[in-house]
Parts: sequence; C-alpha cells; structure tokens
Amino acid sequence: MEALRKKFSLTLPQNSIRIIRIIAALLLLALIIVRAMDVAAKSQFGADTWLRLSVSGLIIGGMYALIAIGYTLVYGILFMINFAHGEVMMIGTFGGYFVFEAFNAIQVSGADGSQLSFLNAYPVIAILLAFLAGMTIAALSGLFLEKIAYRPLRGAPRLVPLISAIGASIFLQNAGQLLFGPQRRQYINPVVLDRGIGWNLEVAGSTVVLTYTGIFSLILSAILMVGLYLLVQRTKLGRAMRAVAQDKKTAALMGINVDQIISRTFVISGALAGAAGVMWGIHNGLFNYFVGFLPGIKAFTAAVLGGIGNIPGAMLGGMFLGIVESVGPAVLGIDFQLKDVLAFTILILVLIFRPSGILGEALTEEKV
Amino acid sequence: MNKQSIQKSAASGLVFGIIVIFFALIGFTVVFSGLIQKALGQSLGVGQIPSISSFLIFLGLLGIWNGWRASRQDKHETLSVKKVLGRSAIAGLVAGVLVMVYALIVGALNNSGINLRTYLSQLSSESVRFFLFNQTIVVGGLIHVFYSTLMAVIGGFLAVASERSRERVKSTRESIQKWSQDRWLGKLQGNPYVSYVLMGVVLLLLVLLPRTWGAYWNYVMGTVGIYVLLGLGLNIIVGLSGQLVLGYVAFFAIGAYTFALTTSPEPHNLVWNFWIALGVAVLAAALSGILIGLPIMRLRGDYLAIVTLGFGEIIRILLRSDILKDFTMGPRGVRNIAGPTLFGRSFTTDVDFMYLIILAVLLSIFLARRWQESSIGRAWLAISQDETVAQATGVDTQKYKLLALSLGAAFAGLGGALFASRNQFTGPEDHALMVSINVLVLVIVGGMGSIPGVVLGAFALKGLPEILRELESYRLLVFGALLVVMMIIRPEGLWPARRPKLEVPVEQDHEPVPLPATAGGEK
Repeated sequence: MEALRKKFSLTLPQNSIRIIRIIAALLLLALIIVRAMDVAAKSQFGADTWLRLSVSGLIIGGMYALIAIGYTLVYGILFMINFAHGEVMMIGTFGGYFVFEAFNAIQVSGADGSQLSFLNAYPVIAILLAFLAGMTIAALSGLFLEKIAYRPLRGAPRLVPLISAIGASIFLQNAGQLLFGPQRRQYINPVVLDRGIGWNLEVAGSTVVLTYTGIFSLILSAILMVGLYLLVQRTKLGRAMRAVAQDKKTAALMGINVDQIISRTFVISGALAGAAGVMWGIHNGLFNYFVGFLPGIKAFTAAVLGGIGNIPGAMLGGMFLGIVESVGPAVLGIDFQLKDVLAFTILILVLIFRPSGILGEALTEEKV
Repeated sequence: MNKQSIQKSAASGLVFGIIVIFFALIGFTVVFSGLIQKALGQSLGVGQIPSISSFLIFLGLLGIWNGWRASRQDKHETLSVKKVLGRSAIAGLVAGVLVMVYALIVGALNNSGINLRTYLSQLSSESVRFFLFNQTIVVGGLIHVFYSTLMAVIGGFLAVASERSRERVKSTRESIQKWSQDRWLGKLQGNPYVSYVLMGVVLLLLVLLPRTWGAYWNYVMGTVGIYVLLGLGLNIIVGLSGQLVLGYVAFFAIGAYTFALTTSPEPHNLVWNFWIALGVAVLAAALSGILIGLPIMRLRGDYLAIVTLGFGEIIRILLRSDILKDFTMGPRGVRNIAGPTLFGRSFTTDVDFMYLIILAVLLSIFLARRWQESSIGRAWLAISQDETVAQATGVDTQKYKLLALSLGAAFAGLGGALFASRNQFTGPEDHALMVSINVLVLVIVGGMGSIPGVVLGAFALKGLPEILRELESYRLLVFGALLVVMMIIRPEGLWPARRPKLEVPVEQDHEPVPLPATAGGEK
C-alpha cells in the first residue's frame, strides 16, 4: 500500500519532469509536422521556389557557420559568450568595403588600352586583398577586444565578463555609427562578381538563378571551415587550443602559454568573422554599422544549436539555421517578416529541450 | 632611465595618441571644445566650429593626463623631477608624433580635394582644418607635437607636486575629519531626528519642485522617474537574485500595451478606468514574468541573457509585424491613450503626472526595500552568491527566481503603463532593445543590488544626457565604455549595496566571532 501511494504521489521526481519535457517536445514536433503537411497540401509553392529558398538558406548558413565557430571557440576556452563577436564581423565588412572603394577609384589601362578601374582589371587580386583586409582588421579587433575588455576580468564571477562583453558590443556598434555614419552603404563588387547574376537553372518551368556571389561565398566558407578544422586537429597551435579548452591549469603545467593561446583563439575567431563580414557585403550589398547585430545573435543560436564548444556542431548548426530561416516560413506557412522570430524561437526551444545541442556532449549544470 | 621605464612611457603616449585620433575621428574634439567654450561663457551657434583656444584647453587636459599617467609608473617609488621629466617628455612626444602623422594624412587628403565625409562621416573640411588649428598641414602637425610634449611635461610636474604635498593633504584631511566627527557628525549620526528632518526636506522638495520648474523639467524628471521604476525592477532580477535578463523591455512593452489597449478607443474601444487599467497592466506584466520564466528557469548566466534577449526581440518584431495589426495596430502604434482621472477630475497636466510618477517611485522604493530586507531578499542573495549551495541549504531556488522575475516584471509593467499614459501613445519602436540596455547600464553603474544606486544611476544616465544635449550622440558610446570600465575598475558600482549586518553584536576590540553552526535558521 505504501509503495502504491509513493508511486502515485503528487510530488514529481526528477525523472518525470524529463518525461514531461520529452512528451512536450514530441507534441510540438507533431504540431509542426501537421502544420507543414497542411501547408504542403495546398501546394502554394513550386519546386523552383523551394530550390531558391534552400540555396539562399545554404549561402547565409555558411556565413552563420563561420561566425558561430568564433562563438564556439571562445566559449570552449573561456566559458563566456563573446557578445561583441557580431561587431567584429561588422568591422570586417567595413574593411573589405574600403578596399573595394579604393581599388574602384584607381584607374589603370586595360589590355586593349581602355581605361578600367583596378577593381575590374585585376578582380582576383582585389577580392583577395579585400578578404585579407577584412580578416586582418577583424582579427586585430578581436585581439584588442580580448586584451582590453576580457583579460583584466579573468577569474571574476561569470556575470562580470559577460557585462563587459555587452558593453564592448555597444561601444563598437556606436563607434561604427559615429565613424562611418548611420547611412546604408553599398558594396561595389568587381564585374565578375556582380550581384544577382549567375547560372540559370530551369526548374519546374521557371528559372532559378544560382548567383555567382552566393556560390562564391558558399565555396569560400567551406574552404575556411575545412582549413579551421585542419588547424585545430592537425597543428601544434590547434593541439594547444584543445588542451586549454579541456583544462587551463593542466595545460599551463604542460608548458602552454595559456594567455597567448587565448589571444590566438580570439585572432582566429575574429578572422573568420571578418571573412563572413566581407562575404555578407559582397553577397547582400547593403550594410551599415548595425550589420553585425542580427547575424551575431543568430550565429550564437547556431552555435548553441550545434552544441556550444563543438566546432563541427557550430558548422552544422549554422547551415541548419540558415536553411530553417529561409525555408521555415514557407513550410509553416507564416509571413517572411517573421523569420527572425523563427530563429529566436529555435534558440529558446533548443535551450529548453536540449541545452547540449545536436552534437554537444552532455553539459554539466555548471556550464549551462 | 632604464629600458622598461622608457617602454612604459612610450606605451602610455601611444594609448593617448590613439585616444586623441579616435576623438577626432568621431567628431568628439569639436563637440567637446564647443562645450568648453560654452562653459567659459562664450556663445556658440548650432553647427558652428568652436574657437581654437577651447580646442587647446581640451588637448591640454588630455596631454596633462598623459604626462601624469606616464610619470606614475610604480606606486612605491618616490618621484624625482629628473625621472618625471624624461618619462612625461617621451609620452608626450610619442602621442604628439602619432597625432601629427594622422593630421598630416588627413590634412593632405583634405587639401587634395577628396571629400572625406563620404567615408568618415565626421571629417568635414572645416573640422579637419580645425584639428590643424587653421594652420597649414606641417605647422599644425608640429604644433601638435610641441603642445603635446609641453602639456605632458606639465602633467609630470603636477604628479611630482601632488606626491610631495600628499602627506600634507592627508594630515589636513584627517584633522578635518576628526574635527567634524567630534563637533557634529558624531552628534548627528546618533540622532534619529536628523534622518526625519532630511526625509522631510526631500519630501518638501518633491512636492514643491514639480510646481516650480516648468514643463520641460517635469518631462525630463518624469522620464528619470520611470527609469527609476524600471531600474528598481531590474535591480530585483539582476542585482538581488543574480539573473542576467537582457529582454527586460518585453515586460515594459507588455505593461505599456496592456494599458494602451484597455484605455484607448481605437483598436478595441475598451475605455477602462485609468486605475483599473494600471492594475491590469501591472498584473499582466507580472504574469508574463512567470510565464516567460517557467520554461527558462533551468538556465543560468549567459544562456539566460541571450534567451531573454530573444524574447524581447520576438515581442518587438511581433508588435511591428502585420500579424497582430488588428489587435495592436501594428507599426502605427496605439494612440489616444487615456490619462489618469481622480474622483471624476481629469488629472493630466505635467505637474499632476510628475506627482503620480513620484508617488509610484516612492511606493516602489518602499516595497523594494521591504522585500530586500525580508527573508525573500536573503533567499535572493543566497541564490545570486551560489545557486547550488543555496539549493543545498534548503532555498527553493526555482520559486524565488520566479518570484524575482515576476516582481521585477511588475515594476516594468507599472513603468510601461505610466510611460504610455504620459505620452498618450505607444508603438513598437518605444520598446527597442536599447531600453533594456539603458536599464541594465543604470543598474550596473549605480551598483547592483543597491536602491540608492538605482536612483543615482537613473539620474546620471537619463538626467545628465538631457542636460548635456550636445553629447546626445555619444551617449551610447559612453554607456558601452562605461560598462567595460566599471567591470574592470569598480564592479560594485558607484553606490555599492550595503549588506544588512545581522551578526550577533560582539564586544569591541575583539574579532567578530562566527556564529556556531547550531544557531538556528536565522542568519
């Protein structure tokens, strides 16, 4: 009798809360599927629209992934969200923009004697230098950000560096506004990378354009991700980074200069964010000082989605978020205005139902 | 001079050079020189470039600070004139040369006819020439070098002088303190009537001031009052229970919109009584605090921050989108929100509103103090110190965290309702992320967990920018820098919270004895 009473008592043990959560998650999933099938039955969109949405999602997802890697690298080592990471990306966008502007102003004579801007005469060099400039300046800002705003706070309670990071983010955003003005600017691309032009695909009776800028961004982000993976897995620096992420004290005892590794982590994540920033400019064209805010938060969402601290997870999460954001509104039959709401909702749902993310190891209470 | 000392001086000069260049790039040199000119009693039209002498004062202050900082490299050494001269001269020279290089580049570009404003929005042709003291490039650059070095050396001498006189200043200060302690502070501190008199004076001021200082100040101070309300609420959440919530504006928006929709004739034609609507708005905000809090109670620290940020943005985007257009009027916002009425009399002049806000603030301060010093406050304190330990010692952390969230949200709801009612309008753009950031900054700058700190912070961060209108565009920049600097040098805030001391009084001249573990539940 006693056992029976215990079994049906009203106080829920820890286990049943988990069961309730799983049931809630399944219900939610079922709801989404039903809704999606409902929308699909109406067949509002053809195959061409789906393809277009998926491709654009994949392109944006690649950029999210690059930024998300920065969050994940820093979180893995310092257990803090680098709130100013989106602003680092913004700085990179401006870096690339100024290189293009400068090359556009320089006139050279082309092969047939006609006057061309340097940008169109040597597009490969111009693009390379733009990326180099954007990545360098973003990496430097990441380096100084860590030196000024985070390093003095090593060992402080966890709220303290987080507030400092929020402060740095506000500072950089407003410095960007004051320096460059609030107006939107347009990236001037070389003609070979003209926006909106690309390979035309015939799908379901209408043409789908695979833009050059998009494909270029996608390939470049893939290359950078592979490069980063090799760096972390194969090089001495990567091994040191992994060691510091696992245990700072032991790593220091093994002769690793922990402060230096942390600095280099910020440099690497800054460079990736800078590359994403230049891609953003090349692909989307319009930008201003606020360009880093939303991608920053969404990339953080992506990092959490993949399991924060996990590099392949961040890549996967970025791609996934990009696709969900662009295909999701169509699947669920909601307004495209709400794609940002969709991203935030995913973040909240992931944190409620699976805080360790898709690929993440089970986080201890302390890390969450 | 050893190598290390030279390096340190050069580093100081480098930092100051970069600061001067940054100030020039964001246009701060022009604005601040203008402020100096006004402070000296000279007039300055809008958009006019201030005089060179005020710019020299501005640069001089920075230069003196540079020399001062460069000379005092080690706390424990005694400064000699020789040491200081070398250090400050190096620092000044490095800063000056850096600024000269910048001035040469910018000046040359400006002279060649390139419009720098297309790229750097503050560098108009006049401001570049202003930075060169209206001289040619080379002369202007050289003036920068000489002036920077000179001022740095003066700063160095000031550092020596201040150190030489420090002993004397210290002894004088101590004797004054002793004197005042004997004569009056000692007597006043023990006297309970002093605090009553002080309170009376403050109350009298609160009653009289809104009547005398006019509509503009009522508006400014009303905004400060509403921010005090918001700060008190966020102080409960962040300062007391230690949960970093970045989407505080969500509760503000819920309060404002609940109030707006129940009193405005337009979308729903519910013209409720002001006081009922106010109560409903506060309740709705508190309820939303619980509803938002329930699923995210497990999260801590940074995760909580970003999830609440997400909530704030979701609410703003929803309010702005077309989906809720029929319900909340979409981007247009709700208009014609009712003002307060009392016994059938309309109650909507600026003076009346100021009184209403003052009343709400006083009530909130009273409530917040009572909560803070009750057992609830101690539970919050325990959670903010260490949640795991708090749970282990029997604090129901979930319950108290939820309570903090809903009480804080209720304050935000009250603030939102008053804000909507005073403006007779509320729209999605009133509820941007910046509101959350403002409130967070004022709580942190004032001192987390400290009620006087919240009031001070609200005055400093909402009142001061209204007075120094010229600096409006630099407000957020300064906020950001302030957050970082505060975290590094003074994380406890301007007016730190004093913990209530509940120890058993021990005899003087003894170390306080820790309570035995069996002393019971009371701390």
